[in-house]
Amino acid sequence: MMKAPPAAKWWIDLGLIAAAFAILPFLMPGGSLDLNPFTGHRLPFHAGFVDLATTILAFSLLALGFNLLFGHSGELSFGHAMFFAIGAYVSALFSKGFNVTGTLCGVGIGSLQLHHDAVNNLWISLILSLGLAALSAWLLARLIVPRSSGIYYAMITLASAQVIYFLAFHCSELSGGEDGVQGVARPSLPGFPVDWLSQSGGLHMYLFAALITFVAVAFNYWVVRSPFGSVLHALRENRQRARFLGYDANKYRVNAFVLSALFPALGGWLWTYFQQAINPDAGSVDYSGRVVMMSLLGGIHSFVGPMIGAFVYWDIQNSASQVTRFWPAAPGAVFVVFVLAAPEGINGLVESLRTALRRRSFNETARETEDAGGEVLP
Amino acid sequence: MPAAALNARLVLHQVGDQIINGLTLGMLYILVALGLNIILGLMGVVNFSHGSFFMLGAYVAHDLQPHLGFWPAIFFAALVIGVFGMLFESSLIRPLYRRLPEYTLLLTYGAALIFEQFVRWKWGDISLPSQTPSYLAGSITLGSFEVPLYKDVFLVGITILILIGVWLLINKTNVGMIIRAGTRDAEMVRILGVNMPLMFTLVFGIGSFMAGLAGALAAPVYAIIPTLASQWIILTFVIVIVGGIGSFWGAVVGGLIIGMVQSMVELIPNLGPTMIDLSGFMIMAIILLIRPRGIFGVEGLFE
Repeated sequence: MMKAPPAAKWWIDLGLIAAAFAILPFLMPGGSLDLNPFTGHRLPFHAGFVDLATTILAFSLLALGFNLLFGHSGELSFGHAMFFAIGAYVSALFSKGFNVTGTLCGVGIGSLQLHHDAVNNLWISLILSLGLAALSAWLLARLIVPRSSGIYYAMITLASAQVIYFLAFHCSELSGGEDGVQGVARPSLPGFPVDWLSQSGGLHMYLFAALITFVAVAFNYWVVRSPFGSVLHALRENRQRARFLGYDANKYRVNAFVLSALFPALGGWLWTYFQQAINPDAGSVDYSGRVVMMSLLGGIHSFVGPMIGAFVYWDIQNSASQVTRFWPAAPGAVFVVFVLAAPEGINGLVESLRTALRRRSFNETARETEDAGGEVLP
Repeated sequence: MPAAALNARLVLHQVGDQIINGLTLGMLYILVALGLNIILGLMGVVNFSHGSFFMLGAYVAHDLQPHLGFWPAIFFAALVIGVFGMLFESSLIRPLYRRLPEYTLLLTYGAALIFEQFVRWKWGDISLPSQTPSYLAGSITLGSFEVPLYKDVFLVGITILILIGVWLLINKTNVGMIIRAGTRDAEMVRILGVNMPLMFTLVFGIGSFMAGLAGALAAPVYAIIPTLASQWIILTFVIVIVGGIGSFWGAVVGGLIIGMVQSMVELIPNLGPTMIDLSGFMIMAIILLIRPRGIFGVEGLFE
């Protein structure tokens, strides 16, 4: 069912992705002229759409992580937004600081005082986000991987994500409850002006996000082409056979789960500094479901599929929400059509179009050869 | 009476109230989870739209009540949802049987998004008022307990009758025999000459009927809002995981456990609201640790 990854040169693939990131803010719909709020210069795009492009990057990371499981190891995790939420909350709380006394999540904590001052350091926050997401992913994977697979696995991951959602919702002393954490300052980058990330109508934030995302994409690209990635593909195609070959299937599945949690956590980390706020929705079924939809829309058996899907999804959501307040039905309907008619996503449609074109040109060549009385290939 | 004894009686009373509440909640959980579980067991379809059918049952019953009266509205609402479920299965889910079971979860997830927006569009975002007929609105006195007549007497009684009916259907009829055999090995049953596509549609209809019925019965008790589906569906998954996929008694015991625990933890001071939402998942984690297939689950199903 799966084609072997095409033997394309890696620098061509990554170069194309970098080029796509470079032109993404210009690709957004309604790219009308807009004034730069800081310098007064005219920008060739609308500030709101630069923010949409940054959003797409954060969700591309989420979808890439998800697809490391669904597309590459054949396991459907329906709760991957939980790691997005973990990454986002950890970085938000680390950067903004917190002070909890008396009760936490409704439990009295006595004279214990949880206190942390605001810290303006992107990189410690990044390490903490990734570290805590990896730790929780490892613990969860140790619980569910040996005990479930298939649809059972999907149902359990879905239910597990609800725990993070409800904790964020109910532990309001720490997480701000339904409103979440708001007013997170955008940190300064070493060697840049203090508010550099907020300049140029969001363009600097986009550039920063694009750089981080590109590094993560390159890492993901390397993982799926490494021997580790090949084992994941083997597990997807036939777990029994991979086991007979001597691979410890559950060990690989746990490692894949932990690895796949890093990308959403990175996305959540970016999201916090981009939005400067975070609320429990980040860990909701709604977000987990969006990631599933994005990956499938783009094509789960293609490396760039989830990123294309993120672009298409936000395009649909953005257009539909301008027309109707019932907009969630639009991505839902598109998704249903794709599941039914094009399960390989946009990538699959493009592939079959290319195959059809190639076949037609081949047939034409064959007919010409036939007319000339030559040999015809069967 | 001394203060301590009075206090103890008060606590006892609260516990008794919560047991009755838990029983009612558990009964509704059983109805929803059993429908999902029969579909899942026989067809391997994780129906994310099951929660939507529950919600639609409540809304349709609400609309039918002024025209048909209370009880007929509940029955016909369930029937409408059952027939709708059969159409849904035969048009949208049937093309997916040749693929991995995960794709049915994806499709029904997308459909659930559409159903939720449909409900918002048709009935609005705010909750609809419940319409219990006056003769059901009161309560009866049982010892020192005031028991609401509809919520805790009729609802529980009707659910038990339905459960007996479903048990008889599964265990004492030819259709039930095919369902039980098909849960073990659908391919083999097909080879023996049973029209499995028809069977699947029928069973999907029965499951949807039960979801619609649960929704219609729950309508006078719980707020009817468009988020009802997403609130219930995940908990239903938890119940099925706790009870065991494809098992009648799994759904019954799982539903009762989750319903009871959810209403008992409400009594924990301060922690109540947090625990109502988290207790189901804690039970799921414990069950996964000690018995991964669920309490009545069959080893090796959907491996």
